[in-house]
Amino acid sequence: MGGVLRLMLREEFRVHTSYSSRSMFLSFPIIILLFSTAIAVTSGRLFAYTPLADAVLLLHATVFLYGLSVGAFGFLGRQYLERTNGTRNYIVTMPGLLPMRLRRTFLGMYARDAIFYVALLLAPATAGLALSIPLTHFRITSIGILFATGFLSFLVGMSLSFFVSTLYMRSRIGFVAAVIGVTGLFAGAGTTRTIPLSWILPGFAAHEQLPPFRTDLFAAAGWSLLASAIIGLLVAGAAGLVPDRFEPRAVPVREELPRLVSRFRRLGTYAPLLSKELVDLQRSGTYAKMFFSFVTPLLFLSFTAWFVRYGLQVPVGFNTVFYAGMVGFFGVILYNWLNNVDATDYLAGLPVSVPQVIRAKLISFLLLTTWLGVGFVGLIAWLNADTRLLWLAIPIVLVTSVYIVVVTAYLTGLRTNSFLFDPGVLARFSVMSMLPDFGLTILSFTIDRDPTFAILGIALVLGILVATTYMLLKGIDAKWRGTEFGD
Amino acid sequence: MIEASHLTKRFGSVEALRGVDVSVDRGEFFGLFGPNGAGKTTMLRILTGQLRPTEGRARVLEVDVVSEPLRVKSVIGIVPEVESPPSYLTASEYLYFVGHVRKVDGIEGRIDRWFRFFDLEGSRGILCKDLSKGTRQKLMLAAAFLHEPAVVFLDEPFINLDPIYQRKLKDFLLEYVGHGGTVFMASHLLDIAEKVCDRVAVIQDGAIVATGSVDEVRGSESDLEAAFLRIVGA
Repeated sequence: MGGVLRLMLREEFRVHTSYSSRSMFLSFPIIILLFSTAIAVTSGRLFAYTPLADAVLLLHATVFLYGLSVGAFGFLGRQYLERTNGTRNYIVTMPGLLPMRLRRTFLGMYARDAIFYVALLLAPATAGLALSIPLTHFRITSIGILFATGFLSFLVGMSLSFFVSTLYMRSRIGFVAAVIGVTGLFAGAGTTRTIPLSWILPGFAAHEQLPPFRTDLFAAAGWSLLASAIIGLLVAGAAGLVPDRFEPRAVPVREELPRLVSRFRRLGTYAPLLSKELVDLQRSGTYAKMFFSFVTPLLFLSFTAWFVRYGLQVPVGFNTVFYAGMVGFFGVILYNWLNNVDATDYLAGLPVSVPQVIRAKLISFLLLTTWLGVGFVGLIAWLNADTRLLWLAIPIVLVTSVYIVVVTAYLTGLRTNSFLFDPGVLARFSVMSMLPDFGLTILSFTIDRDPTFAILGIALVLGILVATTYMLLKGIDAKWRGTEFGD
Repeated sequence: MIEASHLTKRFGSVEALRGVDVSVDRGEFFGLFGPNGAGKTTMLRILTGQLRPTEGRARVLEVDVVSEPLRVKSVIGIVPEVESPPSYLTASEYLYFVGHVRKVDGIEGRIDRWFRFFDLEGSRGILCKDLSKGTRQKLMLAAAFLHEPAVVFLDEPFINLDPIYQRKLKDFLLEYVGHGGTVFMASHLLDIAEKVCDRVAVIQDGAIVATGSVDEVRGSESDLEAAFLRIVGA
């Protein structure tokens, strides 16, 4: 197993370096290290407004979500096994040919990603904090405790994701029930507080028992054991759910494409491409994945805003306009999913260009997901009794959604997940997304004090975003014309 | 019909093609052979507009493959090396999709014809990801011929097919060439190639090392395989 794990780690490293280059990829953890040092050095201001315990809770919650996002091996492994990755093949498919257990291979994926993603992000972030010690005078023991307990939160998230996604391989009903259960757990902990937060984040609970908060080693060990037990149970459960052999069922399905092509015939060349996108999303189950991966961070955002406003009693005006800006910028997740459904190699032989397919994906994004963002903003406005600003919030969510997706499409083409690991692309993406988001957030906070200024400012930002969107749409052709499918 | 001059392709420090010249006439069945990694697929991908050459020029049906790759793809048929139809379309939906992208008339009739030809009726409603390799290969072949192109580029078209369909495809290709169609085929199956090709070329280390009619390349050897082994020095 150790030998296979080493090879899996090498494979993962090479997959990532293939997205950009070895040096570019290796600069990613260095950027994280520098970023972490910078945040640590400026943390004095943060702690002036946010108590340390709340900042640490946010860190644990973020790391937990990070774990959730990397642990969905049930989805990922299935995708590999079904060969929807074009000509690429991975070690996880080898049990089909070699005397290897699929279950052990999935466990190998878990171990691989636990090591790989800790090395990629958590370890450099921790090293960044340690680097800041001469300026911040943080204690090295506190940093060590943060890393150790944060690692537990990361593994709980990863294991939960591993378990739920593997359940999907066995039973759709079981999967839906598990998702409802987990959502209920979060809702209970986040809103009504009927469920203690320590049940979900025992790593955080352990942290609370250690310096700089308290020094109750016995309680900390208890919480750490509970976290380890949860991780062990979830991983064992997930491994138990992995089938011995993966046998895709060949079930006939109803013909959908001709009906859709006919419906979209006014779109000309785009009709078959768009229809295929929609059929793909439906049959691959990506609709559900898109919905949950969009809604989960939004729920987290809502919870954070709620927590800051009512839990911490910080009088920040999180109004509907603020949410509209944020929701729009989450559109990048949806575009990423659109590019992860299937390989596009087969298009290389057809008279279709990469820019055409990018545009087809943008159209499907508009058709499929506009309602999701608008619906969420409407819901949050209703829940917060803040519908008075909906007239302004809806254009914001529409413009920012389209803008961020066009930026993503322009920068990453058909390989969003890959290119966002390229530090050069990530830096440009960060600037292009954070600047307007920051502007809209600040303006949303001033809307009650100076509505004229805020509305004019928002109109200006939206105008710039519309103009930039138009230019980038035009630029997609020039940027991606020379590339081929599968490149 | 197909004209390539001084085609060179470098992938970093690796030179996959080294100044290759090729010419194929209308109604000709042309075979390209070579050891693994010799540059066959690279050449085929350049001629079909899937890859840009580092140097050199190529025209197919009077269309420049470098400056107008989409136009080339719209007039030719391609069967790639790896059979990879889209995972979540059914077999018939894939052909329907190809027909629409290629803007062909009477798609349903053409699909029915190819389903009958390859005996694919039982696979009509099955998702491509769940089809066998052989069935996927048949589907890729059907997709390549759906719009009745004047020239087809086939990369190992007989691989994955059972002897019955190898024979059927061989007969079909000969009939196609007999009616004026042009075939450019890269393959390892020299026994089949010997029976169907009018002209062949042997490529090694990115350069054409022998070319001519089957008889010319075979020379004094008993068959094409023996000649091939001699030419590549195996």
